Amino acid sequence: MSFSELKDRHVAATAMVNTLRDRLNQKRQQLLDTDVAGYAKSQGRTAVNFSSTDLVCCRTLQGHTGKVYSLDWTPEKNRIVSASQDGRLIIWNALTSQKTHAIKLPCAWVMTCSFAPNGYSVACGGLDSECSIFNLNSQVDRDGNLPVSRVLTGHKGYVSSCEFVRDQDTRLITGSGDQTCVLWDVTTGQRISVFGGEFPSGHTSDVLSISINSSNSNMFVSGSCDATARLWDTRIASRAIRTYHGHHGDVNTVKFFPDGQRFGTGSDDGTCRLFDMRTGHQLQVYSQQQANNDQDVPIVTSIAFSISGRLLFAGYSNGDCYVWDTLLAEIWAFGGHRKVI
Amino acid sequence: MTTNGEGAEMEARGPPSLHLSTRNGNFLGKHRLSAAISRLNQEIQYLQEELNELETMEPSSAACKEILLSTEGKPDAFLPVTPGPENAAWHRWFQRVRSPHSRKWWTHKGSSDIL
Repeated sequence: MSFSELKDRHVAATAMVNTLRDRLNQKRQQLLDTDVAGYAKSQGRTAVNFSSTDLVCCRTLQGHTGKVYSLDWTPEKNRIVSASQDGRLIIWNALTSQKTHAIKLPCAWVMTCSFAPNGYSVACGGLDSECSIFNLNSQVDRDGNLPVSRVLTGHKGYVSSCEFVRDQDTRLITGSGDQTCVLWDVTTGQRISVFGGEFPSGHTSDVLSISINSSNSNMFVSGSCDATARLWDTRIASRAIRTYHGHHGDVNTVKFFPDGQRFGTGSDDGTCRLFDMRTGHQLQVYSQQQANNDQDVPIVTSIAFSISGRLLFAGYSNGDCYVWDTLLAEIWAFGGHRKVI
Repeated sequence: MTTNGEGAEMEARGPPSLHLSTRNGNFLGKHRLSAAISRLNQEIQYLQEELNELETMEPSSAACKEILLSTEGKPDAFLPVTPGPENAAWHRWFQRVRSPHSRKWWTHKGSSDIL
């Protein structure tokens, strides 16, 4: 086949992809008979009513001297690991606020950290494109530093996020600026599977965030600069299970909903969204957008759900942290002031 | 739900390297073009599978109903009012705990710092 014939084929295939995408979007729109807020209101639900004493800061953990980029709790919810671009991981006893470890990192540009399920190890990664594992029970070296017990190398871009697989201390998933996610065996340092990269259903831009399903640790979701989230089954590396469209900008953060059947996302477009894992439906948009000028809308940098899923905590680039009533899509700022959108 | 037009356009245009090369004057091997076409054909197959799936898929209200049921059944310490039973483990965050390395006592009336 000649070069120009191939080019024609490429143009035709591109057009077909665009046509199918449009048809898919239309069909999905038809299936969106209600969003979560509409349904909850139809069932007579009203928004959570916070008073000024309801959400009170009970601990302030001070010690980092640079921006804190990431933190993770142990499964028992009594210890925290935090990562800062002051070049350290700090392990905290969350009850007493005591620091139990301050780990000097080989690379200060850390972006993510995770506690192992057994509570003995922590992992971190960042601009060095590696994921470093520290065993908290190791002997410190001559300089008083905890040695790195394992380095996971192989990513061709920064490690933006990492998470230990909950029921397996030996497995970790990373997301990277090289557009892939990787499942690692921490004991050997080997890559078990690579998600995306060479395959067509992988992300087409940097992966910024991952979240493992707490109900089914074979499933995880990734968020990317390509404005999509993708669902992966760790047993099937060859293709994403589903791609979730809707955001108009980088998906900076993804988090599974407590029931394990939905997940939330936060984006540069200033919105959080709730997607249904199984069907792909976009169930709710959480948007503060009121200004005409898009540039005024702060971006969503990080999200977390409360244990029931009723509350969605969202951090924004302007330093605000808001609480969304997930069911009614109403918003509260810390301090008890209510803002209804 | 609005279409993610930008993202879709970028993907359908082909991988970034292909786009750049075309812009720089068609310095692109047949192999790479064939590979790009294969990827697009694979994408077409996936999109058609998804379209078929949507034929028998339930609407969003089904998932909304599930969300309502799942959130309202679980006790949640952050809510002003939440279903029981009371979880004794929550109290540890509001008891006076002395940090061994400082004189500070933490109680439930902490500072009003933004988290």
